[in-house]
Amino acid sequence: MKRSGISAVCAVRRTFRLYGSFLAQNLKNEMVYRANFVLLVGMDLFFMGINVAFFAILYANVTTIGGWTFHQTLILVGSVGLVREAAYLLFRQGFLELGDYVRTGQFDALLVKPIRPNIHLGFRHVSLTESLGEGLMGLALVGYGFAHVGTGWAAIPLYVLMLGVSLVIYYAFCLAINSAVFWIIKSQELNSIVYTFMETARYPRDIYRGLGKAIFTFVIPISLIATVPASVLAGRLDWGLIALAVIVAVGMMSGATVLWNWSLRHYSSASS
Amino acid sequence: MEAISVKGLNKTFDYFKKEPGLKGSLKSLFWRETLYHHAVRDVSFSIEEGELVGFLGPNGAGKTTTLKILSGILYPTSGEVTVLGHVPWKREAAYQRQFSIVMGQKNQLWWDLPARESFALNRDIYEIDRGRYERILGELVEIMGIGHLLDVQVRKLSMGERMKCELIAALLHQPRVLFLDEPTIGLDVVSQENIRAFIEDYNRTQKTTVILTSHYMRDVERLCRRVLVISDGRIIYDGGLADLADRYVDHKIVTLRLGRRVPDDVLARFGRVSEQSGLSVTLEVPKKDLAQTAQALLSALPVEDLSIEEVAIESVIATMFGQRPGDRGEENTTAGAAQPPPVVESDRSVHGAG
Repeated sequence: MKRSGISAVCAVRRTFRLYGSFLAQNLKNEMVYRANFVLLVGMDLFFMGINVAFFAILYANVTTIGGWTFHQTLILVGSVGLVREAAYLLFRQGFLELGDYVRTGQFDALLVKPIRPNIHLGFRHVSLTESLGEGLMGLALVGYGFAHVGTGWAAIPLYVLMLGVSLVIYYAFCLAINSAVFWIIKSQELNSIVYTFMETARYPRDIYRGLGKAIFTFVIPISLIATVPASVLAGRLDWGLIALAVIVAVGMMSGATVLWNWSLRHYSSASS
Repeated sequence: MEAISVKGLNKTFDYFKKEPGLKGSLKSLFWRETLYHHAVRDVSFSIEEGELVGFLGPNGAGKTTTLKILSGILYPTSGEVTVLGHVPWKREAAYQRQFSIVMGQKNQLWWDLPARESFALNRDIYEIDRGRYERILGELVEIMGIGHLLDVQVRKLSMGERMKCELIAALLHQPRVLFLDEPTIGLDVVSQENIRAFIEDYNRTQKTTVILTSHYMRDVERLCRRVLVISDGRIIYDGGLADLADRYVDHKIVTLRLGRRVPDDVLARFGRVSEQSGLSVTLEVPKKDLAQTAQALLSALPVEDLSIEEVAIESVIATMFGQRPGDRGEENTTAGAAQPPPVVESDRSVHGAG
């Protein structure tokens, strides 16, 4: 038991070290295309701006939505940005490329290396620029909202931890959806499903009622992704909700891993 | 010691039949006929540690599929395989650290970065310690003579240079087993020769077990003493390269230089004329009458020079695969191949996927 614990720690340390190597590699790669970098950051800032404007207009007429004030909502919207940026730094871009890997047979190369193909895929496409603007803007929104809601600094560690839990839910969701790639070979449509659902994450979970709430909590637990960490920082701490998020994260991750590993058996490789 | 053991390996791909045109596409949305392609059928062989074995066969014969199963890329439909004591498709890191696969048509290097960066990343993936990494890289770079290319973006390299880098990337962790799928494809003659020389030397000095597939007979002739010939997913020959010619070809090539022209019908009495330009004539003469025929040629014709050679391995293979699949096993009319290849069923449902 103890030995397996130590080896698990070693595996995690090794994975982090490896991530460092891949990150450096990707940065070098992205800097080859400088104009692209500027364009992407600019686009992100623009779309985040639209989001904020949307809520600003709403809140000009009402004081709360589902019990959330304007500043609490900014934390929510900012948290979505942070989770998305973290996802792009860890795995998201890789899943977007997965269809090409499978179609061209390039996926072969990932299957023969002593590192899990799903982790390798994400690391190979670490993208700092893809949502850098979103991440920075997210940080600014969270900071601005936090300064106005008056929650103590003590909430920050739990907030960061719950962002981590949200990231696991997001990852499990991507992994499960993308398991279908080995049959349908294209990943674009699959990932637009992920994208569409993530778009809904920026609304507080409290706006859903009845069946909708159940679906967005258990079937597609996207509503938890931003709501749970944001509640911590917005002074709406709810331990029941936190426990729910942790259970959903563990359950989804286990399920998605089983599904993905099973799907890998169906990879038929492109002929060469 | 046995490095690779394959017993009763089968791999069947299923795929959908689509009728041509938009109508066919619409129909296939709702109703599809599943077809099966038996890419590998009941294949068994065993390879000793340090052996360099060639896989020969036409496109779609099952060479690449077999290599992909040995690498753990594909799950087999049935059969038992162990490589270095591991079952490949369990994809254990302990196995993955001990082998490499290089596919001539695929690229594992980072396209926009210099090869050096890809090498360094492999160092981290395989956890090679720095000292050992520097030493191995230094050795490989020197043998390949690509020191000046390490800092050039991979996409700016020529195909030959890129293949050298691919090989280096695959060998940094000193694999005990190496699968090479068409490593010389698309390369010019000089690059091909360099890669061949390297593989030969590497196998000899490192005692690495190598399986090589290639379309270029020169690769196989130069490198492999033993070959496995695969056709329609089955192994139809497993043995020495030299014996292959004995088994499938019953003639030798006699080349004559004549003092004056000799009528064709006179020449044809001694053997099949396969080539004739001016006073130079090439004859295919049955092995069993070789001595007799050579004597007769020398006494009956104005021969200035005569040489006897084995049939080039290339022609042997062409003879083996020369017939269309449906013709296999029938009475063979191709000159020289008196012993037809073993009967191969022609019930496969698709050609080409391999």
